Amino acid sequence: MRLDLTHIQRWIKPGSRVLDLGCGNGEFLQLLRDQRQVRGTGIEIGEPEITQAIARGLNIVEQDLDRGLANFPDQSFDTVVLAHALQAVHFPDRVLDEMLRIGREGIVTFPNFGHWRCRVYLGTRGRMPVSRFMPYHWYDTPNIHFCTVKDFEALCEQKNIRILARDVVGNTERQPLLATAWPNLFATTAIYHITR
Amino acid sequence: MHRTGKPIDTRRFFVVSLNNIGGCHGSTGPSSINPETGEPWGPDFPSLRARDWVNSQARLADYLGIDCWAAVVGGSLGGMQAMRWALEYPTRIRHCVVIAAALKLSAQNLAFNEVARQAILSDPDFAGGHYLEQGKVPAQGLALARMVGHITYLSDHAMASKFGRDLRTGSFERGNEEDVEFQVQSYLRYQGSQFSGSFDANTYMLMTRALDYFDLAREYNNDPVAAFRHAQCSFLVISFSTDWRFSPERSREIVDALIAADRPVTYAEIEADEGHDAFLLPIPRYLDVFSAYMQRVGG
Repeated sequence: MRLDLTHIQRWIKPGSRVLDLGCGNGEFLQLLRDQRQVRGTGIEIGEPEITQAIARGLNIVEQDLDRGLANFPDQSFDTVVLAHALQAVHFPDRVLDEMLRIGREGIVTFPNFGHWRCRVYLGTRGRMPVSRFMPYHWYDTPNIHFCTVKDFEALCEQKNIRILARDVVGNTERQPLLATAWPNLFATTAIYHITR
Repeated sequence: MHRTGKPIDTRRFFVVSLNNIGGCHGSTGPSSINPETGEPWGPDFPSLRARDWVNSQARLADYLGIDCWAAVVGGSLGGMQAMRWALEYPTRIRHCVVIAAALKLSAQNLAFNEVARQAILSDPDFAGGHYLEQGKVPAQGLALARMVGHITYLSDHAMASKFGRDLRTGSFERGNEEDVEFQVQSYLRYQGSQFSGSFDANTYMLMTRALDYFDLAREYNNDPVAAFRHAQCSFLVISFSTDWRFSPERSREIVDALIAADRPVTYAEIEADEGHDAFLLPIPRYLDVFSAYMQRVGG
């Protein structure tokens, strides 16, 4: 299980309704269902992922986030999750608005482009960073809207989105101290619990 | 679809698959004898709606001692019946699988059905539906109806790749008096003549009318969300990208209404070149999705 997903579990109340945007193979929704009795729905466009999620017995709707979420009624979920997908959608700001229209709360995780390794890579080589965490080249990456911790928080402020909690994943599992103290420099993944 | 190792695995499921009342391949229909007259029912066979089929299936389930279906599965008109099942007998169905269907027919769908019926009605051998007593078959009308229907089952792309502009006979050469026959013409005629030899014209009239009348939400104030609130089962909805008879948009209307009604729904839109026909074909992703869901049904 990806680290950001183990982190955000505790923000999800047992028995609540969760919409997972870009749910992949449904690993997270399955965990929430089995351990927290969550009633979940997933949205995904990857064909093999959809089949795997169905095999897990989950409710999955094939739908492209870039075509909007207008078919989901206002406040119809307790929590809407967008894990590692913010940077891959065409209009991240609109998706955030939609998340908080559909759900009372939202949980967003994304790779922090302000991480010192990215800065050093770009600063010294003058080229877009390619790493273990972001293995794509600029021209073939699905990640089209990279942002930093500071960028995200500025957008939340501009949109009057309240940050209930922030969590981070650092370079190593045992040393989250640096990432907690200076997230924009040391967090590899930023994790936000938001509401309006 | 249903056999050992197929999506509906007969090692796991007891499968009931039946011919609709009013049909011409087993169940009582217009070509059956009306016991009151001793003659075939013909055009006097009672008109039917999708719900009548569903009710007759429920009586069959009673007879078989089946209180609750693991799943009711249907494609096209069958998908409409499956949805009706979920609303009419909410406690007797755990899963509803709706493939290449719609909440109701569009004006375009109605128009094609009308052309097909007019083709039959205008065949003199139809004789107002009393062709059996007169020992006739409205073969030309039935064939035409089937040809029109068949065009709506295929996609532009499927026709292009299957037939293109290939010739069966004749030539475009000047001075050649032989008429040209395209492969697609010969195909449609073949489909038409096969059909007219095996299908009853009154059944065709009855079935297309049942399709026309079907409107899942009519009695729920025309609100599909209100309609689906009566359902208690989980849904799988599947559509095919090039199906223009019941297009993916029609399936998404079903899915959106289910989402708004807070019913568990899974939806997949299968890339397929074959048009509406795709729901009858073994397309790998279609089988994968369907199999994965049926595992859940049986689990």
